[in-house]
Amino acid sequence: MLRQRGRMYARLLIVAALFAAAGGAITARVVYVQLVNSAHYKAAAQNEHFGQQEIRAPRGAILDRNGYPLATTVDAYDVYINRPDWQNVADAERAAAVIAPVIGQPAVGLVREARKEAKGLYLAYAGLDFDKGAALRNADAPGLRLVQTTKRFYPEGDLASTLLGFVGRDHAGLTGIEADYDRELGGVPGTIYFERDSIGNQIAIGSERIGQKPKQGGDIRLTIDRYIQRLVEGELEAQIAKTGALGGTIIVIEPKTGAVLAMASRPGFKLSQLNLNDANVALFRNRAVTDVYEPGSVFKTLTAGMAIDLGLVTPGTTYNDTGAAYIGNATIRNWDYSVNGTTTVTQVLQRSLNTGAVWMSGLVGPEKFYQYVRAFGIGTTTASGLGGEADGLVRSKNDPNWTPVDLATNSFGQGIAATPLQVIAAISAFANEGKLMRPYIVQEVDAPAAKRSFSPVVVRQVVKEETAHAVADMMNQVVEGIPGHLAAVPGYHVAGKTGTTTGATLADGTVHDGNVASFVGFAPAGDPQMMMLVKLDFREDRLGGQVSAPVFHDLAPSILAYLGVRPNGPQLVTTGN
Amino acid sequence: MALLRRPALSIPAAAAGRLRSGRLALFAVAVLVTGVALLQVHQFSQVTSTGYQVDGLTQVRAEKQARNHELEAEVAALSSLGRVDWEARTRLHMEPPKQRLYIDVNQPAPQRETLPTRFLPAGGPQAAAAQPGATPSQPFWRRVLKLLPLF
Repeated sequence: MLRQRGRMYARLLIVAALFAAAGGAITARVVYVQLVNSAHYKAAAQNEHFGQQEIRAPRGAILDRNGYPLATTVDAYDVYINRPDWQNVADAERAAAVIAPVIGQPAVGLVREARKEAKGLYLAYAGLDFDKGAALRNADAPGLRLVQTTKRFYPEGDLASTLLGFVGRDHAGLTGIEADYDRELGGVPGTIYFERDSIGNQIAIGSERIGQKPKQGGDIRLTIDRYIQRLVEGELEAQIAKTGALGGTIIVIEPKTGAVLAMASRPGFKLSQLNLNDANVALFRNRAVTDVYEPGSVFKTLTAGMAIDLGLVTPGTTYNDTGAAYIGNATIRNWDYSVNGTTTVTQVLQRSLNTGAVWMSGLVGPEKFYQYVRAFGIGTTTASGLGGEADGLVRSKNDPNWTPVDLATNSFGQGIAATPLQVIAAISAFANEGKLMRPYIVQEVDAPAAKRSFSPVVVRQVVKEETAHAVADMMNQVVEGIPGHLAAVPGYHVAGKTGTTTGATLADGTVHDGNVASFVGFAPAGDPQMMMLVKLDFREDRLGGQVSAPVFHDLAPSILAYLGVRPNGPQLVTTGN
Repeated sequence: MALLRRPALSIPAAAAGRLRSGRLALFAVAVLVTGVALLQVHQFSQVTSTGYQVDGLTQVRAEKQARNHELEAEVAALSSLGRVDWEARTRLHMEPPKQRLYIDVNQPAPQRETLPTRFLPAGGPQAAAAQPGATPSQPFWRRVLKLLPLF
């Protein structure tokens, strides 16, 4: 009996020991998982149970100088189809019948595209209007996935398209102001954490929390005036259509501050019909700052300014024009092959005589000439803040292959390459008492980090004040001293200079042996409030005075009246157009 | 063999009392645990339903914000130059001027009214401020308090 009881106890002890060992192992494992290695398993569980999603910050607006929005952001939906849900044809057709009319696509095509693959999501439509998306959310459409997003909206339509630029599918700026100030406009994205189920769907159980709130992108206020911009774009398109030009650029600035009031280029593109697959990316360029050209005879104002500033000539100084200038083996003639005899410096500008410019550059000398050219900002970027701005090209005496002929041709704006913005900035010094202003297009940036305002910047005093007045008077004589000048504006004193040169830029960005006809002018001549550069590209020979000066004549009255600039003359002035 | 009769166990009265109170305590603990469990279930349920409500309200707020953005865009579009030009030409039959007249006006510009004058009392905004009882609107509770004595 006792032996039986002893054996029974032994067996019980063995079983108990086994259970104790198993329990000990389990306990050890529990201690290891929950205490020793808890961080690892906690992280794995977090990763499994919780998900995170980036919240895109609303993109800031681009405003004109008066606060009117040129580009703003509205909410939208991206419409996705969950392909596995559409493997059943009946379900797919039922859903497509609901979705297709809303997104404006044929149902048959939608089903065919979505069912091309069996897995993943198919993007049926990007940027659906919020109202339509909200209505679609409540529809009975299996496989429909709506992702809230934003899209750009342009209240002024295609206005200033090359200047504003556009954003890509990821809402990052790709060109223009959108790209140049992408960091300020884009804001700071936020993060949202949420609990999710076994297949990754979010559980609305109150565990959602915002890790970092998105910071809305800041607004950019430009110096551009939408009214002047619209006037300029309309006139540019009309003149291109009328004259058969390949394209052109018009820039309007405040000469005393450097603020850009309007900047238009053609050919361009339409923001409302943007095609990111368009191979002709040259259309996306802001040609006012990216394209260089030979300024031509407008450069004679700079040459005259140098010579006057150095005290070598005055507006009344004369030379004998024989119709040709001989530099080494080269012969340089006037553009019209004229021979003018005794000619003043003022008449050199009025008649746009190449020989006069060559004469003045000879007096100035190459050292001083290229010093002044650099001082006027030709050959370097204007630092306007616009991306893609070209440097321009100036070959001076120290550069290889320079010859004295270069000095001669440079004096009337050939053999030098500059952007339209560089040219108008340089000549604006004569409308601003000899001070070169930095052209700027952004007035204020209201970024998440800080608000920044930009003030006019005086780059340098290029010429003396009296030199600037003298050149401005001569430019006034160019317009008003020639009866019937096409740039003349009734009621206002205008100063200006025409230019004609070779090398027209085509729509694809290549340059061919065409012709560039330009005009630079400002008004009122005595107290300039507005300055304009008009540049038109042609395949055939056209003169700046014939095709570009009339643009100034057409635009200036409207712009000056809009700016509240009083015309000269008695209290009641009548002008007929 | 006669059935063994075992005498009934006699439990002393004190022990019986302790047993009864033990069972009561056990019952109370069970009720307490059940109550706590039910409370937890109830709270969890409340949290869940509140979470769904919050989710719904968040969606409503997002929709309102989106609608605000749309309205801002609509205002911008309505005040765009293209629309103004279209309205001027098509609805008002206006056209660009053929002649430009410049007339100097040496009088100050009129004061800008925020409302059409027909909505303002006679004499303008200043007269509205001077009217007796023309106090700015007050919240409901303040108006009720005013009806009570001593307020």
